[in-house]
Order: sequence, then structure tokens, then C-alpha cells
Amino acid sequence: MIKIENLKHYYKDIDGNEVKALDGVSLSIAEGEFVAVIGANGSGKSTLARHLNGLLVPTEGKVTVNDMDTMDEDRTWDIRQSVGMVFQNPDNQIVAAIVEEDVAFGMENIGVPSAEIRPRVDKALAAVGMSDYAKHAPHLLSGGQKQRVAIAGILGLEPKCIVLDEPTAMLDPQGRQEIVATVKSLNKEKNITIVYITHYMEEALQADRVVVMGAGKIQFMGTPKEVFCRVEELEKLGLEAPIAAKVASELRKCGAKLPKDIITEEELAKALCQ
Amino acid sequence: MSIELKDVSYTYSKGTPFERQALNNVSVSIDKGEIVAIIGHTGSGKSTFVQHLNALLKPDKGMIIIDEVDATGKTSDAKAARHRVGMVFQYPEHQLFAETVEEDIAFGPRNKGFSEDEVAVQVKEAMRFVGLDYDTYAKRSPFQLSGGQMRRVAVAGVVALNPDYLVLDEPSAGLDPASRLRVFREILELHKTRKIAIVIVTHSMDEAAEYANRLLVINKGQLLYDGKPEEIFKEHSAELRQVGLDMPQVYNLGEKLKANGLNLKGDIMNTKALVKAICQAKGWKNAK
Ligand SMILES: Nc1ncnc2c1ncn2[C@@H]1O[C@H](COP(=O)(O)OP(=O)(O)OP(=O)(O)O)[C@@H](O)[C@H]1O
Ligand SMILES: Nc1ncnc2c1ncn2[C@@H]1O[C@H](COP(=O)(O)OP(=O)(O)OP(=O)(O)O)[C@@H](O)[C@H]1O
Ligand SMILES: [Mg+2]
Ligand SMILES: [Mg+2]
Repeated sequence: MIKIENLKHYYKDIDGNEVKALDGVSLSIAEGEFVAVIGANGSGKSTLARHLNGLLVPTEGKVTVNDMDTMDEDRTWDIRQSVGMVFQNPDNQIVAAIVEEDVAFGMENIGVPSAEIRPRVDKALAAVGMSDYAKHAPHLLSGGQKQRVAIAGILGLEPKCIVLDEPTAMLDPQGRQEIVATVKSLNKEKNITIVYITHYMEEALQADRVVVMGAGKIQFMGTPKEVFCRVEELEKLGLEAPIAAKVASELRKCGAKLPKDIITEEELAKALCQ
Repeated sequence: MSIELKDVSYTYSKGTPFERQALNNVSVSIDKGEIVAIIGHTGSGKSTFVQHLNALLKPDKGMIIIDEVDATGKTSDAKAARHRVGMVFQYPEHQLFAETVEEDIAFGPRNKGFSEDEVAVQVKEAMRFVGLDYDTYAKRSPFQLSGGQMRRVAVAGVVALNPDYLVLDEPSAGLDPASRLRVFREILELHKTRKIAIVIVTHSMDEAAEYANRLLVINKGQLLYDGKPEEIFKEHSAELRQVGLDMPQVYNLGEKLKANGLNLKGDIMNTKALVKAICQAKGWKNAK
């Protein structure tokens, strides 16, 4: 679905100096895959995300979406239709004065038949628990509410791939679980490809594959199990392991003999309670 | 020394179709030296509440008293009192304004009349506080940074103001795990050395349990609970879940282990306590 080959991206700072945000990233994402991206602040996650629908184009290297090159301006439209994006800050993506219009806006833009828009808006708002706010003004909502509206706007587009940049950063615990569950069901039931950037390791556990970024490069990647066993390497990169892996690692320091690959709470419970 | 809210109510967009009462008769007093965590469902009124602590929002009803001064007034005393409350907003972009990171952080100390040498020292200290390398970031534009870097600049800018009350609205949102730990460690250190009050809005129950000595739970614009974090978590787990919140993750993990038959003692609210309890149950030495 998405192919990234030796992608480099350099920004220019105000003095014209180069800031190397991505420094040779290669990654293929298959259709229907759920990929989590983790990495320290400034490691290049958002920059990478913006390349996936052509909001940014490579300084060097190549990004293709279903074989369409993101550099090819004639394809920008098709690419944006295939890959929907939920940004880190929802303020950046609110366009309309009423919540339901905001959610409908994207659909109108890509030419969803008008008879279909209404039910899709309702469904998307219900999926993020914001049905009661359909007639509200989005810019007057609280931080977490705005984030949910932003996610609903993308859900309504039913793109083949959704890129979410820290979608739960401002949500309460239940809101966070709801968003993760929503994303997961889109992936499993509708086979929508998911690229999910997060600072919460428990959320990354839900993915098929975890990509670990550091200093503009992929440091390592693999299944959650492969990645989250590497507790010390993760810590060196400013990250952490999920709580069960952390606790297991502490227990080993107390002399406990536990399997090396404990990363979920269920696995820890099993190892401790058999 | 304290910030007191007395019967504060606040309604947004009064007289429009979007009218919404966000605070309803809230009374609370926060003393210097406290570390207060505020939790609540999305939209419950947390940001509205903290924006009353420096009278940035003026209540429709009720009073805000900072260090015994009516803070909503126009007097120079009222202004000075408001300035003793430093506020990091939920969206850091909203408070960044200068051309470079250094200028942004220097604004507060410079305004307070410090010499340029002193300002430079304070900027460096504030950048160290949030873990931003001076040589790399001082001359960069605050608007051309990653999300987590921007938030750290915003926190640094407010820390450099040397407030008596440091109010942070979701400071750890967008920070990577190491920076989250770092910022909290520094906040605790600052609290210890300067005895200031810290008020933190957070969606992380674990942060609330781990760092705060007082917890405020806000629900639908009202103060639902006010007390010690461990007591509130212990006594009101069902109610907290009902209002969209949760227990700390470690607590839930401890409960899961208990349900699986592990005999853990006590109420477990942080990782250290959990490790200790497991070691006890299993007869392992709890090496420090
Ligand atoms: N507009 C810009 N101009 C110049 N440099 C930038 C710009 N945006 C980001 N950068 C720099 O590029 C690097 C990567 O930034 P990016 O936003 O991709 O990081 P990130 O991994 O998403 O971090 P975070 O976890 O903080 O969101 C950082 O060092 C950042 O300072
Ligand atoms: N400018 C505004 N006009 C109208 N209503 C508003 C405005 N700002 C906030 N509200 C409403 O007031 C209520 C409280 O908002 P507030 O921002 O205080 O919530 P919060 O607890 O900080 O939420 P979050 O966790 O999502 O940041 C919400 O229902 C919100 O929709
Ligand atoms: Mg980012
Ligand atoms: Mg808020």
C-alpha cells in the first residue's frame, strides 16, 4: 500500500540551516496492516506521517501510495483520497462552524453522494462519542472533544489508510480506550490500513508491527513482542516498555525467573500465577 | 499564601446558541506548597477551572482571591497577584510568540527587570529544566519544532517566570516517556526548593497518584472529590469509572494479578509498590 525508500527530509530553520528530520527511512506498509510508530520528541514521526499523503515531499528518496509517487502533482488528489490524516493538534483541522458540517466537509470535498453523507456523519460522530455535540461549534469545544471531531471527520471519508498522529494525547482514559478500539475495529473489520503514532506504549501493543524511530532513522522494528522485550534499548531512545514488561524487568532484578518475552498484563499474570 | 476560588460559576458564550455553563459553584483553596492534580472527563471543565486560578477568565459569579487580594480587580495589587501564577496552556502553540526559542523564554525574566546576564542564566536553566539542548534549540523558531519540543518551550517560558503558583494544563501530553519523567522530576525538585504550589491537569491517573499530594476530581463543572489521591482512588473507583476516568494502570494490573490468585497485600498505586508486593507474595528478595 505504502512504500518508502531511503526517505530524507531536511527542513530549513530561520537562519537557513538544514535540520535533518528524516535521514534515510525505508519502510513498506502492506494493505490492512496496523503499524504503530514510536520515538522520542523530534525523532521525525510527524515528518514521516506528513509524507504519507503528500503534505510533505521528500528532499531525497521516494514515497509511493498504491504505486502513485507523492511527487507527482497529478496524483495528489488520489493520494489524499486514499490516505486520511488526523493531526497532532486538532485546531489545525477544524474548518466549519458546526460540528456536523465539519465532519461532512471532507466528504463533500471528495464527492461522497449527498444521500450518503448524513448517515456517515452520524455514524462517525457516534463512533467517537460526540453525537450530542453535532450542532455545536467545534472551535468552542474542549481539547479532547475537538480531537474526537477531527477523528470523526476522517472516519467519515472511509479512506483506505488512516494516519493518526498522537490522536489520544488529550483524551481521558475512557476516551483513549474508545479511540483505540475504534481504530482497531476499522482495521480488523474494514481492512483499513492504520499508521498510528503514539507516546503510549500500551497503545502500540495493539498494532501488528511497531516501528521505533530515533534521530530521523528507524532504529528497529518488529512485532510488539520483538520490540518491547528490548527494554533497555527503548529507554536509551527516550521510550519505555509497557507496564507489564517494566514490572517483569524489575522482578527479574529481584531474582525472579520469568520468561523473557512478557509484554502484556495477561502474560505477566500467567507467568506469576501458574 | 493561597489561591481561593469562592462559589465560582462560569458560562461560555452567554446569550448565544452555544451558551454553556462550564463551572458551577466551585469553591476551593490551594495553598502554597501543595501539589494538586486535577482529573476529569473530556469537557468536564478542567481548563476552564485552571484559567480561573490566575483570573484569566473572570467568573460570572463568585470570587478569586490570590494571596488575599481580589484578583479580578484592576488595581496594581491585583495585577501583581495574577502575575504570581504561571500558566502553561493545554495547547502550547497558543502561548509561543517570539522569533527564537531563546527570546520566547527570555520574555518573562526580561519583563521583570533582570539584567541581560541574569536573563541568559535563567533561559539556560529553564531549557535544562525541560531537557532542550541550548546550542541546538536556542536560535530556532519556536514554531518550527516538533509537537513535544514546542510544549517544552512553553513549559520553559513559564518556569522562567519564577511563579509562586505553577499551573500546567496537561503538561505531559505529547511528551515522550523520558521527557515526561524528566519534567515531573524537575517539577518536584522545584517544588521542594522553592516551596511553590503546583497545579497539574492530567489525563494520566498514574501521574496523579504518583506525584500529587492532593487530587481534585471535576465532573460536569463541579468539584466531585477533593482529597488525597490514594484515598480517592481507593474509595471511589466505581464512581471514577462512571465519570469517564479510571484507576491508575498499576492498580488495575495489581487487581488483575489478585484476580488470578496472587496474594498481594495493600492498595497498590505505583510500580515500586507493585514490585514490592509481588516479591513479598512470591518470597523473592526485593533488591533495591
Ligand atoms: N517546520 C519545521 N522547520 C524546521 N524544523 C522542523 C520543522 N518541523 C519539525 N522540525 C524539526 O524536525 C525534527 C523532527 O520533527 P517531527 O515533528 O517530525 O518530530 P516528532 O517525532 O513528530 O516529535 P514529537 O514527538 O515531539 O511530535 C525535529 O528536530 C524538529 O525540530
Ligand atoms: N469558548 C467556549 N465557548 C463555549 N463553550 C466552551 C468554550 N470553551 C469550552 N467550552 C465548553 O465548556 C466545557 C468545559 O471545557 P474545558 O475546556 O474546561 O474542558 P476540559 O475539562 O479542559 O476538557 P479536555 O480534557 O477535553 O481539555 C466543555 O463542554 C466545552 O465544550
Ligand atoms: Mg510529532
Ligand atoms: Mg482542557
